[in-house]
Amino acid sequence: MTLPLLRLAGVTKRYGPRAAVDGVSLDVHAGESVVILGPSGCGKTTVLRLIAGLERPDAGEIWLDGRTVARAGRNLVPPYERQLGYVFQDLALWPHLTVRGNLEFVMASAAVPQDARAERAREILALVRIELLADRHPHELSGGEQQRAALARALVGQPRLLLLDEPFSSLDPDLRVVLREEVDRLQRVLHLTSIYVTHDREDASVLADRVIEMREGRNVAQRQTPRESLRS
Amino acid sequence: MTIWGLRSSRTVIVGLAVVVSVIVCGLPLAYMLVQAGASSDAYAALLLDARQLALLYNTTALGIGTALLATLIGAPLGLTLARVAVPFKPGLRIALAAPVLLPPYVTGLAWVYTAGSAGFVASVTGRDLLSEWTYSLSGAILVLSLVFYPLSMLATEVAARRIEPRLEEAALVIAPPGRVLRHITLPLVAPAVAAAALVIFVLAVSEFGVPGLLRVRVFTTEVFTAFAALYDFGRATVLTLPLLGLSIIVAAVAALLVGERLVATRRALSGAQPLAFEGWTLGTNAAAACVLGIALVIPLAVLAREALAVPSVAAVVAGSREAIRNSLVLAALGATIVTLLAVWLGYARARAPHRLGVVADVLFVVLFAVPSTVVGVGLIGVWNRAGVFGRLYGTDGMLLLAYVARFLPVAALALAAGIRYVPTSHEEAAAVGGAGWWRTMIRIVLPQIRLTLLATWIVVFILAFGELGASVLVAPPGEATLPIRIYTIIANTAPAQIAALALLQALVVLSPLAVLVLATTAWRRQ
Repeated sequence: MTLPLLRLAGVTKRYGPRAAVDGVSLDVHAGESVVILGPSGCGKTTVLRLIAGLERPDAGEIWLDGRTVARAGRNLVPPYERQLGYVFQDLALWPHLTVRGNLEFVMASAAVPQDARAERAREILALVRIELLADRHPHELSGGEQQRAALARALVGQPRLLLLDEPFSSLDPDLRVVLREEVDRLQRVLHLTSIYVTHDREDASVLADRVIEMREGRNVAQRQTPRESLRS
Repeated sequence: MTIWGLRSSRTVIVGLAVVVSVIVCGLPLAYMLVQAGASSDAYAALLLDARQLALLYNTTALGIGTALLATLIGAPLGLTLARVAVPFKPGLRIALAAPVLLPPYVTGLAWVYTAGSAGFVASVTGRDLLSEWTYSLSGAILVLSLVFYPLSMLATEVAARRIEPRLEEAALVIAPPGRVLRHITLPLVAPAVAAAALVIFVLAVSEFGVPGLLRVRVFTTEVFTAFAALYDFGRATVLTLPLLGLSIIVAAVAALLVGERLVATRRALSGAQPLAFEGWTLGTNAAAACVLGIALVIPLAVLAREALAVPSVAAVVAGSREAIRNSLVLAALGATIVTLLAVWLGYARARAPHRLGVVADVLFVVLFAVPSTVVGVGLIGVWNRAGVFGRLYGTDGMLLLAYVARFLPVAALALAAGIRYVPTSHEEAAAVGGAGWWRTMIRIVLPQIRLTLLATWIVVFILAFGELGASVLVAPPGEATLPIRIYTIIANTAPAQIAALALLQALVVLSPLAVLVLATTAWRRQ
């Protein structure tokens, strides 16, 4: 049995007296696509933020690639050393930079050699089908194009784990279906390991190898999807 | 807002406020601009004068130097207040902002008593090391930077708090905090930092007390000399024109740069701040303490030390009792008039359509940027004549006009920002419920901005209490406010007595600030 890429063991995060995440345990293996499903306020976004190192756990431990990255009250490894990609719910594209500039910042931070950056950016933009929009600023893109740009930015640093926080929640249903299929395609083409947070069961059924359901800060159920059944 | 028709009381009240502000703030400016057209020959001759070119150089260097140094001090402090865990942050923020509320010449006096030929440094070392530098352009730049850095600090903090935390978090996932600060945070706050620097430039070139005290020849001091020493009103008018042009252009650029954000502060969607900036606590706290010491604690301590040499503080106060009384009464009256007018101008601005609002913002900023001595000369030009206008000339009313002309625009901007937080739906709900405009204002809108009203009154009181540049020109003969008295007795009175009066002035300024802090704390507890 191989070690999981990510392991959460009894992780708890409190805001005041309320536990947003309450003793959550979870293993994610390399190449696996896990969907965390639950209603608003159930703590699923907090789980992603804990994995990314944007929050400190009050209890429990988080391992990434066999290394402890956070332990009760402390982040042992800062976010930027965890080699993650993160697509935020509101996308958080940097408004003063073009799409290429957004990607450039990630590649420079990930120490991608200067002479390889242009080609890498072109490849990723082609993969998400916005190669012609590289020199536009975020406000010059449509909603769907912004989603693709955010996805490109999360992928360009070649993360070992991709975190997606309801990235399509603000889109109309048709565009949502198209982009969901795009993410599904990218997962398969790039053999991504990903955790996708959503409250939409349809997202879960299309994207997940495994679905983890959360209620009131706890993971209450875990099930394989038809996709995983097919794989196995 | 279309719910209130032209026949509502809104038309009368807001209309009156606009008319009064046009007469008091706009007419002196218009007068100076008309004079510019009429005296173009004198203006051309003046520009060819090498003496005036030196004035232009000094004035511009003072503005640029102060803007740069104040930004270098203020912007990092603003980022610290916005992003780093600092102990006692609300108190520290107010203490760090306090120097901008002290009249600049009080800080200038403290600096003279520290580094002048008979100052603290000379008495400790036994040698006059710094006086030559103190009475120089560089000395004036340093003093004004210590006065104006809080503007950069507050502008930077507000801009940094307005950044959606997700933007920084998205970067912190892949880059260390220093890189995030350089590539994400700083570019996003840059427009606000630049606008604050431009405002500081305008305030520095408009400043009269500090260059006058440190014997640095700039346009403001020349205007005063032409008017008060040479009795040459024409020359004084011509000398104001380059200053006026410089101030108006820079202020307009600043207002456009900041744009809608002057009166609209969008709060970030999530209140949390990124964790990783917390690692910088030690260094930033030490830097903040250093600035606080140099800009506030040392000046006040030096003034107190100097004032201790006075045989009787009571005698000093008694000697200036009239000036102190005048200052307190006139500043309180001025603050009340300004606030009463500004609330309606602010309301009109807050509810104006987008484009009209931007024009109003630029106008307010430009009017606020008119240098104090220019306001003084303009007021004299408009009001020193026969007829209705002339009746006010030669009375304390001129000082009130000066306060309104100088501080109404900035008070209107502050109150517009406050009123923007009251949703228009609150007014609509009151109107649907049958309330008229006036009743809606008194019962619904104004109660929601009571803290902003109080803060505006206090800030205008403080500014009016320390006003010197316009007051010294328009004050009736024999009447003096405390700033005028201090400024006119500097040359022939013992330093201890001057220091005692300056300290008194500082205490009067800082006391309402303490009231504001207490009111804010009580309001937050509620």
